[in-house]
Amino acid sequence: MTPPLPPFWTLVEAHGDELLAHARRLTGAAEAEDVVQEALLRSLRAYPRLRHAEHLRAWLYRVTTTTAYDAHRVRGGRAGEELTDEPPAVAHAPEHYDDGFESLIDPLPDEARRALRLRFVDDLDYDRVGAALGCSAVAARQRVSSAVRTLRKQVAA
Amino acid sequence: MTPLPDTLLTDLAAAAVAEGLADAVFTRLDSPIGRLLVVSGPGGICRIGFEEESDDAQLAEVAARLGPRIVASDAELDRVRDVLGEYLEGGARNGLAALDVDLSLVASPFRRTVLETLRAEVGPGDTTSYGKLGARVGHPRAARAVGTAMARNPVPLVVPCHRVLPGSGGVGSYAGGPARKRALLELEGALPPGLSPR
Repeated sequence: MTPPLPPFWTLVEAHGDELLAHARRLTGAAEAEDVVQEALLRSLRAYPRLRHAEHLRAWLYRVTTTTAYDAHRVRGGRAGEELTDEPPAVAHAPEHYDDGFESLIDPLPDEARRALRLRFVDDLDYDRVGAALGCSAVAARQRVSSAVRTLRKQVAA
Repeated sequence: MTPLPDTLLTDLAAAAVAEGLADAVFTRLDSPIGRLLVVSGPGGICRIGFEEESDDAQLAEVAARLGPRIVASDAELDRVRDVLGEYLEGGARNGLAALDVDLSLVASPFRRTVLETLRAEVGPGDTTSYGKLGARVGHPRAARAVGTAMARNPVPLVVPCHRVLPGSGGVGSYAGGPARKRALLELEGALPPGLSPR
């Protein structure tokens, strides 16, 4: 049996400070608080639909990173060594959270990247992906699968 | 590392509540009987804990019942804070009865009935006994089961288990300790004779 999800605020109190430090590294101090606030709100929206209660800290880092990118607030130089999605000093590499997600989806158009993040990073169902993109659930599903097909071809090539 | 600023946490909680994302909201309140954790669900207050109890454990208990999207907000629980604060400072004691209470953490129908009856029928300044409370719900011999219902009351103060005393005398036991029970009874002017608070 999978452990139940902990109360969301327990995570906020345990990891809020390090998420803020992470956001500062990505965006600079001025924007970091806005990014963290938005990231935590996104996380809360997706929270009850998470399929497992593991790697929650890594997941929060990931959502914070994505939020910073979505806000186009990340400082220049994506290749910079500071720009890592992963929390420092995790005991074991969380394998569900592919290190290369952002770089993998980087060549795709903006809309496709957003759809993929909403589905696989924020872990939203298609109704909500659709709501976020302003289209139907069916259209959202098509957009995600088409993006996944493109990625497959790209990886195979 | 710098902790998250209070303004960020306040705004986050307000946005979560406005969007209907919160399964429950909690606040921490300093009072003359120590720090209290107060958790409120869709139906009202569902958990009140004394400072000796772990916040995380209590919130996890609420999460298991009402859902994991639990956020902290003093502002959302403003009125609850005022009413509890005023009561515990020795002000108006009738405010407690007007607060909404959500007994969804109480799984047993018997215990729920006992708690509802206690809340409805035993007001401030009044006391009853475990046996008499059992009789009120139609089980005059169930003093022990009533005692269990009191011991497991998830919402002390608003369901006033401190007003239930042993038939044999004394203040009896209390989840928050006998000293708190005595203090609450004294606050309500209902301390039994010969049991002056130390």
